[in-house]
Amino acid sequence: MNEIIKLVKTYRLTAGLAERLRLAEEIFRLIEPDLRFFVFSATQRPAAEDVLQEVLKGITTSIKKFEGTTDKEFWAWCYRIARNKLNDLFRKQATDRLQPMPPEELWQLVEASAQATPLTAGDKHDLEYAMNLLARSKPECREYLWRHYVTGLAYGEIAEEQNLNYDNVRMKIGRCLDEVRALVS
Amino acid sequence: MPNQNTDAEAALQKLGQRIRAGWSKQHPVPDKSLETVRHTVREDWEQEQNVKGVKKPAPDATKKPQRQPPEPEPER
Repeated sequence: MNEIIKLVKTYRLTAGLAERLRLAEEIFRLIEPDLRFFVFSATQRPAAEDVLQEVLKGITTSIKKFEGTTDKEFWAWCYRIARNKLNDLFRKQATDRLQPMPPEELWQLVEASAQATPLTAGDKHDLEYAMNLLARSKPECREYLWRHYVTGLAYGEIAEEQNLNYDNVRMKIGRCLDEVRALVS
Repeated sequence: MPNQNTDAEAALQKLGQRIRAGWSKQHPVPDKSLETVRHTVREDWEQEQNVKGVKKPAPDATKKPQRQPPEPEPER
């Protein structure tokens, strides 16, 4: 817990270039995969790679100004930067938003995760159920469920993204779960 | 009353963890990303050094020229 913020705090206090390079590499090895997932879930490939590099630059440049004290705050801040860079792209190329990842692709990712932690019969059952929930959700609900449970964004981060308040998002996600649960069961 | 959505939430959370873990497995951090970070760190560090260099005033410039009291006029 709060492993990243410790590195970030040390980075902020470090003056020497070699030590900064070492710390930055350690931080970005931890956060790059989730940021890549966030960006690549939102836009198509060639553009996504460019946006990701802009996100990494943006975070690196501003990291010394980041004033939060927890990993959660750091992630929210990183996603804010990523969202701004994606919005810059969408303003330039209005049609570049990505369609939801198809179930086969999702299963491939699940199988890749099983190399490190094998799936039990119970896991498979739960994951099939979860896939079903996503597949049967209305598009708007699928987006909310995806952002919160799959991408891992907190209610507050989705609220900021959608210009809604925290409780609004929490209730929307609750309602989406109610609806789709009734459909699937 | 227990939350009716707990099982659905737990299943979705499990799916999210699996998908992100699989994604990290399939996409190890590429050199390109690390190079972008290194390059930016170096650039920022150099900029900081330049700013420090500019801000650091030359020793002479810090001293205000002190006014000498006017010489008393010679008495006639």
